[in-house]
Formats: sequence, C-alpha cells, structure tokens
Amino acid sequence: MTRSVQSRSIRIVAIAAPILLAAVVLLQTGIDARTRSIAQQKEELLLQSPATAKKLSLGYDALLADVYWTRAVQLYGDKVGKTHEGFDLLYPLLNIATSLDPKLLPAYHFGAIFLSQTGIGGAGRPDLAVKLVQRGIAANPEDWHLDLDLGFIYYWWLRDYSDAAKAYLAASKAPGGPSWLSITAARMAQKGGSLEMSRMIWSQLYESSKDPRVRKNARDELTGLKALDDENHLNDLAVGYRQRFGHFPASSADLVHSGMLPGVPLDPAGFPYQFGLDGKAKLDRRSPVVISPPPPSPPPRPPDKSPAK
Amino acid sequence: MSAIPGVVAVNTFREAVRDRVLYNLVFFALLMIGAAILVGQVSIGIDRLVIVNLGLSAISIFGFVMAVFMGVGLVYKEIEKRTLYSLLAKPVRRWQFLTGKYAGLLLTLLVNTLFMTAGLAAALYYVGRPFLRSDFSIVVAIYFILLALALVTAFALFFSCFSSPMLSTLFTLGVYVTGFFAADIRDFGKLTHNPLISAVTRAIYYVLPNFHNFDAIAAAGHGEPIPGALIAQNTAYAVVYVALLLVASSAVFSSRNLK
Repeated sequence: MTRSVQSRSIRIVAIAAPILLAAVVLLQTGIDARTRSIAQQKEELLLQSPATAKKLSLGYDALLADVYWTRAVQLYGDKVGKTHEGFDLLYPLLNIATSLDPKLLPAYHFGAIFLSQTGIGGAGRPDLAVKLVQRGIAANPEDWHLDLDLGFIYYWWLRDYSDAAKAYLAASKAPGGPSWLSITAARMAQKGGSLEMSRMIWSQLYESSKDPRVRKNARDELTGLKALDDENHLNDLAVGYRQRFGHFPASSADLVHSGMLPGVPLDPAGFPYQFGLDGKAKLDRRSPVVISPPPPSPPPRPPDKSPAK
Repeated sequence: MSAIPGVVAVNTFREAVRDRVLYNLVFFALLMIGAAILVGQVSIGIDRLVIVNLGLSAISIFGFVMAVFMGVGLVYKEIEKRTLYSLLAKPVRRWQFLTGKYAGLLLTLLVNTLFMTAGLAAALYYVGRPFLRSDFSIVVAIYFILLALALVTAFALFFSCFSSPMLSTLFTLGVYVTGFFAADIRDFGKLTHNPLISAVTRAIYYVLPNFHNFDAIAAAGHGEPIPGALIAQNTAYAVVYVALLLVASSAVFSSRNLK
C-alpha cells in the first residue's frame, strides 16, 4: 500500500468514524425512547429461587449476593418518596441476597428498614422485615445488633411491646450485647409505647449504630422528641394561663410576661414556639425540626402472597 | 531429576509474556478502580465487602479464562507450528515436555495472580481500612483460587492431548460446571432409592473435581478464619488430582502418533 493510499484511508476513517458513531447514538436514543414504556411496565425478577440462584452462581455466590443487594438498594432508592407501590420485588431481592450470602449484615439491617417503613417511605411490610431479621439472627447469632433491629421493628412498627422486650432481652444476652439492654427490655414490658420509652430506644439506636445515616435519623427523631416534650410542657402552661387570664396565650412571650416562663422558649433549632388559637404549642414554620407522627396502628398481617420463603 | 521440565516451563512463561497475556491486568486494574469509586455510590454498607468479593471473583474468572484458553493450546500450538518435532528430536521425553508446559502455564497464572493480588490490596487500602489479622483469609482464598486454576489447567492440558482446542475448551468448561453440580448428582442418586444408581452417582461424585472445595470468597469477604486443616486437605486434593491428570495426559500423549 502506498503512502498516499494509506493517508487517504486514515482521512476517511477520521471523518466516517465520528459520523457513524453519532448515528449509533441517535439510533440508540430512538430505540430507548420506543422501548422505555415497555421497560417501565413491569420490573421482573427472573430468578426468584434462592436455591437456584446459588446453584447457578458457580461459586461466585458472594459476588452475586452483592449484586442482588445493590439491586435492592437501587429499587428502594428509585421508589422511595415517589410511590406507595412498586416494592413487591424488595423482599424477594433481599431474600436471594441473604440466601446467597447469609452473613451479608447490611442487607438484613437496612433491608428491614426499607421493608418496615410505611407510606411512601417504604414497603410497609414490617411482618416481612421481622421474617428477614429473624433469618439474619439464625445465620448470625453472634451479632446482637440484629436482635436490636428486631426489637425496634416490634416496638415501633408493630407496637408489639411483649415481643420487642423479648428481642431486646435476646440482644442483651447475645455475645458482646450490652447488658443494659436487659433494663430496656424490662422497661419496655412495663411502659410500652410511652414518650420516655421512645426516647430511650432512639438514644440506644444512636449510640449503637456506626452508620451515619442511621445515626442522623436517630438524632433527628431525638430532636423531634425533645420538641414534642417542650410542646407538651407549653400546652400545660397554656392551660394554666387560660385559667388565670381567661384566654390562651397568643405567643410564648405572653407566658414570659406573666412570669410563668423565665424566657422565650426555643425549639432545638433555635426558633421560638408558636401558639395556635386552640392554645396548642407548635413549631415555627421556618423550623427544620420535624416531629414524626406516631407509627400507624399495627396493620392486619396480610396473607403472604409474595414468595417469602 | 532432569532440568528439562524447568527449561520448558520458563520458555512457556516467556512465550506467554511475549503473547501479551498479562495485558488482562490492565482490565483488572480498571475494574478495581471503578468498583472502589462507584460501589459506595450505588450500594449501602458493602464498600469493602464488594471490593473483596469482586476482586477475588475477578482473580478467579481472569485466571480461569487464561487457564482454559492457554491450556488447550499448550500442545496444539507446538504441533501446529511444528516446533514440537524439533524439540522431541532432542533428548526430551514427552512427559517432560508436558510437565514443563504445565508448570510454565502455572507460573504465568501465579505471576498474574500476584499482580492482581497487589491491585486488590491497593483497592482495599483506597476504600480505607487498615489491614487486619482477619484479612489473612483473603490470602487463603487467593491460594484456593490458584489450586482450582491448577486443576483447571491440568484438565485443559489433558483434553488437549487428544482433541482440538475447540473441543478441549468445551470439555474443560463442561467438567468445571459439572464439578459444581457433583453434590446434586450424588443427591439425585439417593432420591431414586435404587442401590445401583445411587452407587453410580456416588462414584461420579468422587470422580468429578469438586470445585466447591476451593470456594472461600464469601468467608474471606467476612474475615472468617479458614482452618489450617482445610488448607492442607485442599492442597493435598489438588496435588493428587493434578498428578492423576498429568499421568493420564503423559500416557495419552506418549501413545499418540505424531507423524
């Protein structure tokens, strides 16, 4: 091949390659647009059997478990905050991930959170979360954090204080489990769903977790509980104010002027509390503090339609 | 003992390096870097675990592909290029040639694995955690992968002594996959409640190489200790099985008419 032919070939390639590549990108974009509606119709999990997945993994079950767990995280991240539905695949994904690698602790820990949260925050299936964590405890009896997770699901989402107390007691007895959890268990059995109990549970969750997301959530909840405490106290004062002056205070400054408070009370974010016409204290609109609504009443345990084995 | 297998082994290693087979290390490095950066963004709580699992799986898969595709060509290439004839005209026995070829490929796999291990260690260091005593199980898992690769290479070499590279590849892949289902075959025989079938499936179970023996990736990921007795048993299993295959390969190759 002569030098001129060679350089001509290079020039043709240099011109043709970007044009053809651009054409490929355009075509693929067109195909994506056409098939997007089909792809979004239904997400499927082709392999639903953990046993089959383990067999077909050919020894790479640990890596496959990571893939399934990542897929569960992606599914949750995709749906959370947007829709009540679409979490059907969550438990099967977590089930396969933890069957492929029974020691995959994050899948039990965070999976239980994903499954139990209600509304648009999760699958609203604390019953499946219990099942998942119980399997985790069976496979990892040395990890007391799982007992703690189980206790929390029973306490917060199922309001089953008796089983929650049992789980906390089991956590205290597990290897390395803090002995003070037995006190929590005893108080839980005694005081059920009180504010004091909630504060104790969130504090323990904050102290025991190393994950920054869990710790932030627990800290936010504790801040909310502090604000709730303040509101309850201010409500009591407002009732006393009404008895003295015949009407509710318009603001917390009224309470200060009447000598019932030494200064204007601020919420944990530094905003003054407001009063409604009904005399109830509430957070300032600008305040970032959030008081979580109490967990819903325990849902009737639905017949298990998902392949939760 | 003759030095001939050693000479053949070194030449086989040099040839592999000349053939640029170690370029796969670039892909491994990219895979590790990508995983180390991306996993934290797309998953939760498994940053380090996935590096271990992915790294060990990649070491195993890359090694397996090299073992099969190079192993099946070890003898065939020499015949195809007619270099075998000039070699065998010298005082080189066929078993020495085969053993040397096998050892050369094993050396290539060892060097490749050592580089990948260094890459894995660097990725683990990047995701941020000092190395602990429990990380020794990662080293054991890599050793087990090498044992499995030694077995796969021996099978590839054995099949290549009497069949074409294409068929040898299929046979080796078949043995590898079937080896993972050995326990199922044995259990299937038990289910039939037929003593004869049960005995046959039990025999198949023992004859097939049990690659599950060498699977320690999950244990390494969680830093679980691997008992020394298991390391010794797996080593002995691999050595015995490889010896068996090399003897069989030498017998087949020695009886083969190369004219």
